[in-house]
Amino acid sequence: MIEIFTLAFLMLISVTSVIAAFKAIIEKDMVRAIVYSAIQSAMYALIFYVLMAPDIVLVYIPVSVGITPAILLFVTKKTERRDGD
Amino acid sequence: MELPTLVASVIVVSLYVNLGIALYGIFARPSLVKKLLAITILSDTANAFAVLVGYRWPRTGTPQPPVLMNTTNYNESIKYYIEHAVDPLPQALVLTAIVIGLAVTLFIAFVIIQYYRLYGTVNVRKTATSSR
Amino acid sequence: MKKSEICVIISIVIFIFSLAYITSLGGLGYLPPVDVRKLAQIYLASTYNPYQPTNTSSGYESVTAIIWDFRGLDTFFETAVFYGAIIASVAIYRGVEISSKKKSIGMSPIAKTVTRLSLILIPIVAASIAFHGHLTPGGGFQAGSVATVVIVLSIMVFGLRRLVQKGVTKPKILLLRSLGLIGIGLTAIGLVLAGLVIGVNAYIFQNQAKAMAEISYPMWIDDVLFGGSLLFFNIFEFVAVMAGFTLVLMLFSIEEEEVKKVIK
Repeated sequence: MIEIFTLAFLMLISVTSVIAAFKAIIEKDMVRAIVYSAIQSAMYALIFYVLMAPDIVLVYIPVSVGITPAILLFVTKKTERRDGD
Repeated sequence: MELPTLVASVIVVSLYVNLGIALYGIFARPSLVKKLLAITILSDTANAFAVLVGYRWPRTGTPQPPVLMNTTNYNESIKYYIEHAVDPLPQALVLTAIVIGLAVTLFIAFVIIQYYRLYGTVNVRKTATSSR
Repeated sequence: MKKSEICVIISIVIFIFSLAYITSLGGLGYLPPVDVRKLAQIYLASTYNPYQPTNTSSGYESVTAIIWDFRGLDTFFETAVFYGAIIASVAIYRGVEISSKKKSIGMSPIAKTVTRLSLILIPIVAASIAFHGHLTPGGGFQAGSVATVVIVLSIMVFGLRRLVQKGVTKPKILLLRSLGLIGIGLTAIGLVLAGLVIGVNAYIFQNQAKAMAEISYPMWIDDVLFGGSLLFFNIFEFVAVMAGFTLVLMLFSIEEEEVKKVIK
């Protein structure tokens, strides 16, 4: 039973990561796109956790959910907020 | 089809789809910041692929992270460990790849800011038409 | 939708399908695999093996053992790439100074008080990740990334000038970063230097005693698994990664006016 629950959870987060990545690429407003990308990274962190990689989860959560969106927000603040024409 | 195989197929398909989405972002979006975001998605997907290849579903019991937890009865615990732990080598490679990817991302971000100072825009299509 | 965009989408779809076909033909195989590769079994078996003292690393954790012992030279050169990227970023900003005379504004007092708590707690977590890297999941890279979150938080909540007024200046961070790299290098050649003094043979990146090189870092100190060179490598990498990211993030949050004075 617990295995079925874990596997269903894994399926759900992989589908969510696809949706979040799609929204992050399509979105015209860069700030919203960065937030969608952070959601996608959090889903990947959960995938890494279920795939028995605690080391990668420890390095992945601060890097991809914390620091990379912060850097992209800095860059967005210094440049343009709109993507496209 | 067994349940673990089904779920693994779903994860693999979703990773391939993410790879395609990230490639579309790199090729077709005009903003350099969006291209950088797509590059981070692409590298994360490649890392997830490497970890997935190192995963295992042993014949008996459940998989275990590559950390030796019990050493009181060494011979039995090391045997159990070798039979149940996942592959540590892809994890070690991915671990360094993530940190170095962050350093390279930082450098690309600096270059994008410098580009904005020189051209006044990060839109590559505008730059291509205006510099002529 | 333009014609060029449709061409891009079609070519990406063809590429992804052919990539999936090639990988399923090649190494991917049955997923999830039932067994691991022979190499992984060897790594798992020799991570901690008290019966073969010449063929073991000295921690319970296989990932840290691979990073800093079995494949230490790889990680050393990856650290060199890391430094190359950070030095290149610093070179773009050379000559720019962070002015500490003006008063920094920052966020509201509530945010500042809450952040002061985490300024103590997050470094403690990071240090415990670094010091237990050979026993539990963790290590130098993880601890450095966790500690960098503190810098991001304090730049956003207190402001960069407050950080500089408190003594986190660019030369100090550069010094700390160099200390981390020197520590990694010295730990790598430490046994070679000791072997030259004593007069025995030793290798670069040697942790435990090997055949023909009977000299090793301490594995146990008074009933505590010390981890040999793994502990030193983790601590120095923690310092190096934290200082490198701190430097780059401080450069990132300088105002554009300050930079334009130098560049123009």
